[in-house]
Amino acid sequence: MPDNDVIAAAKERLEQSGLPSDWLDIPVHWGVKAKEQATPENGGLRFEYLNVDVYGEVPEYWDNNTEIPRGAVPDTRTEQMGYSIFNKSEVWSDLCAGLYEDAIADRWNSSSDVPWDSLEPIGADLERAVCQIATLMSEYGWTKAQTTGRWLQEISYGYIEVKLFLGTVVFDGARLYEVWRKRALANGGGLGRGGRNWKFLPLTQSYTFSEFVVASIMHDSMLLALLRHGEQLAQTEAERKIYELCQQDIERHLAYFVDHMRYLMLKEPVRREEIHRYMNKAEWYLAKDGDDTLYSALAVIMGDGREGAEEAMADVAELRREQIETYLGYLRQCHLADREDRLNEELRKWAGMVELEEEEKIPV
Amino acid sequence: MVTVDKLDELQIEPEVPELDLSWLNLDTEWGVSAEPGRKGLTLQQINKTLYGDIPATSDDSSARPRGAAAPEGATPRMTPWVLGDATETFSDSAGLLYDEAVSRQWSSATDIPWDTLDELPEDIERAMVQLCTSLTEVEFIAGDVPGKWLPRIAADHYESGLFLMSQVMDEARHTDVFRKRALANGGGLLLQGGGGGLRQILEAEDFTQMSSMLHILGEGFVQSLFRLGELIAHNEAEKRIFRLAAQDESRHVAYGVTHLKYTLEHEPEKAEEVHWTLDMFEDTLVDPDQANPGLAGALVYLLGDGDVDEGWRLFWHVRRKQVLEYLHRLDVAGLGGRLETGRLHPALAGALDEN
Ligand SMILES: [Fe+2]
Ligand SMILES: [Fe+2]
Repeated sequence: MPDNDVIAAAKERLEQSGLPSDWLDIPVHWGVKAKEQATPENGGLRFEYLNVDVYGEVPEYWDNNTEIPRGAVPDTRTEQMGYSIFNKSEVWSDLCAGLYEDAIADRWNSSSDVPWDSLEPIGADLERAVCQIATLMSEYGWTKAQTTGRWLQEISYGYIEVKLFLGTVVFDGARLYEVWRKRALANGGGLGRGGRNWKFLPLTQSYTFSEFVVASIMHDSMLLALLRHGEQLAQTEAERKIYELCQQDIERHLAYFVDHMRYLMLKEPVRREEIHRYMNKAEWYLAKDGDDTLYSALAVIMGDGREGAEEAMADVAELRREQIETYLGYLRQCHLADREDRLNEELRKWAGMVELEEEEKIPV
Repeated sequence: MVTVDKLDELQIEPEVPELDLSWLNLDTEWGVSAEPGRKGLTLQQINKTLYGDIPATSDDSSARPRGAAAPEGATPRMTPWVLGDATETFSDSAGLLYDEAVSRQWSSATDIPWDTLDELPEDIERAMVQLCTSLTEVEFIAGDVPGKWLPRIAADHYESGLFLMSQVMDEARHTDVFRKRALANGGGLLLQGGGGGLRQILEAEDFTQMSSMLHILGEGFVQSLFRLGELIAHNEAEKRIFRLAAQDESRHVAYGVTHLKYTLEHEPEKAEEVHWTLDMFEDTLVDPDQANPGLAGALVYLLGDGDVDEGWRLFWHVRRKQVLEYLHRLDVAGLGGRLETGRLHPALAGALDEN
């Protein structure tokens, strides 16, 4: 309970000294003690445990355009900071706080957590192919960090958990960039050819956060399906570790993106068609990009050199099919199962799905 | 809707991608190797070849990593513009600072001994949570700012990009740890007010101007304060928070100083612009009308442990150190002379007076 005498005395001392004391008049939600949950078994003082009392009330609409912490008392003289996202449905997922702490607990260091000593000569073609893939991976890491970072200045403090988690996504993007750059420059190779990157425009051009999220779901799930082949693709222990660590990060990103999109679909079903439009765009760019160095490089690796590449193309096609399947699988989790019927025609071919016109002839 | 029964009928062979092996014969630098050193395979170690050459200017707005071959065929512009001049964003230390950031990440959940937070007298607890309310606010903006600039960093100057990405992470942790402290020990969040100046950092449209406000003056003051965190802290948890956050801030300040140094070495005429920015930002920082009513009071109260006179004495000790370190940083960056020329704001110059 507030001890009024102590506070009154403190106020008096401050005032005598010409210091503001009105902060002592603020009604305190006394007794919020998150530390009580901070046991080693609980993972320490995780951000989830702060959401008690008024501090845990995440409003549907946040009406303050300053950097005021959620739960603090406003100083109405503060300038507006230019945030543009004030709707919970646009960004929210209940998983954010936990995923933020998970990202920190799972943090890794590309300098010391990858067994670089295990790198050894793997033959010219394979080295070229690994370096080509590394170049494209770096590009995606860079794009991910840049485009995610851009949204920070849009999201208000009301949804602080989302922003904290996105901070980890930015950092993971940096590591995705540099770990693959290191791989390219460490083993007698060099960088390959950059991608055309039409496929990234839906990320860089997004006008709404949810548009950015669906484009991210597409790219991340495609990447994840590839990373899951790490065992098969890795030439050395170092690469195996890189695939494993990147996979863990991308899975975390997808956990948020998918849970957010599921939340949006439940809260604002009216936006379903709009979201489909963003997917139309993202898929169109992906299909149209036509930059096949990724799949050709995979073929050289799977074929153990350029001679075997042609034959390995069937396996690569299967991997690309898995990528689309993974994408559709994540969309099903977001209550967007209807995407299967609306998937881009080109991507249907990648997935080995019959054309929509043909599908309509099949009796159900 | 595709049902499971229908799936088999809908399944045909997936289309096979076209095989294109032209990338097997590129003229990018080849035969490059790097050996892990004492700290593993750092950016410093892979930057030893041509891939480490920093172009003075870059007009590449794409994500293509420095040194990679350009793609064939048409490519889109990925961002309206990038800061292609290295003098705009570069720092010779950015790569090193990024490496350091990665190896010195910490967890506010597990690296702070929260169990050492004993019950504090109510006035002290209130002052501490007021300070933390203000700090979580300041840190919030400190993360938004690098995020805003990321799309404008040229991939050819990736070291600066990586550094800013690590800063976004660090500031998330700072926003989080001060919120945690506010809510951990019976207090709560009090009066908003990160103080004037946050908006100026966010709205700046010149990177070097932004960086001199954020990294050198703003975070410089914060770092000097955190390094004296022992004077504010009442337990091991609080000490550790200030110590770990100060360590992060040192990197942010170092980036700002080395960036300004790089810029002024290559473009000395930019000095006056930065002076002008600092004139404005110093003015905001000491403007009583823009001061956060909670921050100063809480800080003085904590410094004196409830004894306001003693708190004031220590406040000026802190302020003096802040100003001295600020001037030293400017010296290192090649922007010395603010005190000597009478350009330093009188309220800050006054802090140097021992009396
Ligand atoms: Fe900070
Ligand atoms: Fe900082």
